Amino acid sequence: MSSATLRPVGQRRALTKRILKSLPWYPFIVINLVVFVVFNLWPWLSMFQTATFKTDLLSHREFVGLGNFVKMAGDELLHLALKNTFLFALLYVPPLVVVSLLVAILVNQKLRGMKFFRSVYFLPNVTNIAVLALVFRRFLSPRDDAPFNYLLGLVGIPAQRFLLDIHQALASIASLGVWQSFGFFMVIWLAALQAIPQPLYDAGRVDGAFGWRLHRHVTIPLLRPTAAFVVVITTIGALQEFGAIFILTGGGPVNATTTAVYHIYSQAFNFTRFGYASALSILLFVIILVIAYVQNRYLKFDEEVY
Amino acid sequence: MSSLRPQAQRSPLTLLRVWIGFQPNQGLRTVITYLLMGVLAVSTVGPFIIMLSVSLTQNIRFLLFPIDLIPNPITLENFQLLFDRTLALRWTYNSFYVALVSTLGGVFTSTMAGYAFARGDFIGRNVLFYMFVGILIMPETALIIPQYIMLSDLGLVNSYTALIGPWFASIFGTFLMRQQFLSIPRDYDDAARIDGANIFDTWLRVLMPQLVPAMVTLGILRFMGNWNSFLYPLIVTTKAEMRTLPVGLGTVARSGGDAGLDMAGAVLGFVPTFVVFLLGQRYIIQGVSLSGLKG
Repeated sequence: MSSATLRPVGQRRALTKRILKSLPWYPFIVINLVVFVVFNLWPWLSMFQTATFKTDLLSHREFVGLGNFVKMAGDELLHLALKNTFLFALLYVPPLVVVSLLVAILVNQKLRGMKFFRSVYFLPNVTNIAVLALVFRRFLSPRDDAPFNYLLGLVGIPAQRFLLDIHQALASIASLGVWQSFGFFMVIWLAALQAIPQPLYDAGRVDGAFGWRLHRHVTIPLLRPTAAFVVVITTIGALQEFGAIFILTGGGPVNATTTAVYHIYSQAFNFTRFGYASALSILLFVIILVIAYVQNRYLKFDEEVY
Repeated sequence: MSSLRPQAQRSPLTLLRVWIGFQPNQGLRTVITYLLMGVLAVSTVGPFIIMLSVSLTQNIRFLLFPIDLIPNPITLENFQLLFDRTLALRWTYNSFYVALVSTLGGVFTSTMAGYAFARGDFIGRNVLFYMFVGILIMPETALIIPQYIMLSDLGLVNSYTALIGPWFASIFGTFLMRQQFLSIPRDYDDAARIDGANIFDTWLRVLMPQLVPAMVTLGILRFMGNWNSFLYPLIVTTKAEMRTLPVGLGTVARSGGDAGLDMAGAVLGFVPTFVVFLLGQRYIIQGVSLSGLKG
C-alpha cells in the first residue's frame, strides 16, 4: 500500500513486486467482473445514450437529445403511473411493516409449535408470483360465489369486483403482496428481536420498567436499524412491483394499476418506444434512489444504537 | 407499570400495549396467541390446499364456494390437458436447467470472488469492492430495458445465455462468502502456505470444505430467486418454447382457461420450490436472517 510514498529508487521495484503479488488474485474475480461489465455496466452506460434517441431497435433511430425527457412532462399516462406507484407503496409498505412485526412478536414467544408456524408463514414467500396469480385470479373473481365474495357474503357484505374495479384493483394487488411477503420480513424482525441481549431486559426490570415500558425503552430503540432496513427494502420493492400487475390486470382496469415499471414495459414492448423507455428507466432509477436516500437519512440507517 | 394501571383507558392501542407487555394471565395470553396464529396459518396455507384440490377435480370451469376439498373422483385430467395444450413440460425443463446452472455458477463465482476480497491484496481491490456495492444499490427494474437492448444487439434474445448470464455472478453472494472467509482464522492459510500450498490450493482444499453450509444456504437462496424471477425472463424470451415456467404460466393465466387447468399449472409451478423449501428451510431462514442483520 505504501509503495507510492517510497523514494524513486525503490519505487519501481516495489511496484513490480506489488503487481506480481496481485496477479494470482485476478483469476478469482474475473468471472464476476465479466458478468458485471456485460450485464450491468454496459447496459447502464448505454441507457444514457439510448435515452437521447427515438428508436424501435429495428429500422428507426433518430437523435432527439433531451426530447424524451421533455416528452415526460406531457405524458399523462406517466403522471397517472407515478401516482399509482406511490399509492401502491402506501397501500403496501405500512401494512407489511406492521403486520410482519406483529407476527414476529407473536411467534417469538416460547411456546410449542412456533417453528411450525414460522415455516407456514414463510411458504407464500417462496412461491412464485405466476402461481399466486393463477390462484388469486380465481379467488378474486367478481362472481357472487367466488371464494372471497362467498366469505364476504357470510358476514353480510355484498359481492365486490376487486380486480375489475378501478378503486379496488390496486389495493387487491397490494394485499396479495402483503400476504406473500409478511413471512419474509417476519424472519428479519425475529432475527432482530432475538439479537437483543437478555441482560438489557434484566437491567430494565431492575430500573423498574415492566410491560409496555420495557418494550418502549429497550425493544423499540434496538429495533430501529431493522425498522429502517425493512422500510427501505419494502419501499424499493413496492416501487418496482410488476409481476402481479402484468398477469392479473395488465395495467387495467382503465389504467388503474399502470405503475411506473408497467408503463416502462408497455412503452418498450407494446409501442416499441425503446428510447423513451430508457429515459423512463433513468427517471425510475432517480426516483428510487432519492426516496431510498431520504428514508435512510430520516430513519438514520447507520446510527449505532448500542 | 403504566399500562397495568386499572384506570388506564381501554383504547385498542392500550389493549395492544398491555398484550405485548407482560401479563399476569399467561394462560389466556397463550390461548389468544394460538388462536391468532391458527387463523393466520389457515389463511396462508388454505389457498394452496384449494389449489391442489381444484387441480385434481374433474371438469371444473370456475372456482366457486363451497367446494369439496377432497374431489370425487380424483383425476389427473387437468394435468394431462396442461401438458397437451401448453408447453408446460418444456417450460419446466427450461426452468430447471436455468436455475441449476445459475445456482451452481453463482455459488462457484461467489466463493472465488469472496475469497479474493477477504484474503487477497491486489491492485484495484477497494475500487472493485465499492463498484460492486454500487451495483447492489441499483434497482434491477431500471436496467431491464438496456439489458434487453444489449441482448437484442448481440442476438441473444431467446437464448439460455441470456437467461443464465446475469445469474452467473452474485454480488450478494460475494459479500456473504467474503464474510464467511473472514470468519476463518488466517492461521489456516499460514499453515497451508508453510506446507507448500499456493493460494488456489488454500482456497479449494483448506478453506472451502469449511464453508459448505454457507454455500448450501447461498445455493438454496439463489435457486429460489432464479426459479421465481419473472420480469427478466419475460423480457429476454419472446418464443414460447424458451419461456421459463413462471413466465409460461403467466401466459396461461392471461389466456383465461378452466379453473382446473389454471390450478394444475399452479401446482406444477408450486411443487419444485415447495420441495426445496421443505428440505432446506433451516438454511433459507438462516440466510434471510443473515441478510437482514447485516442490513
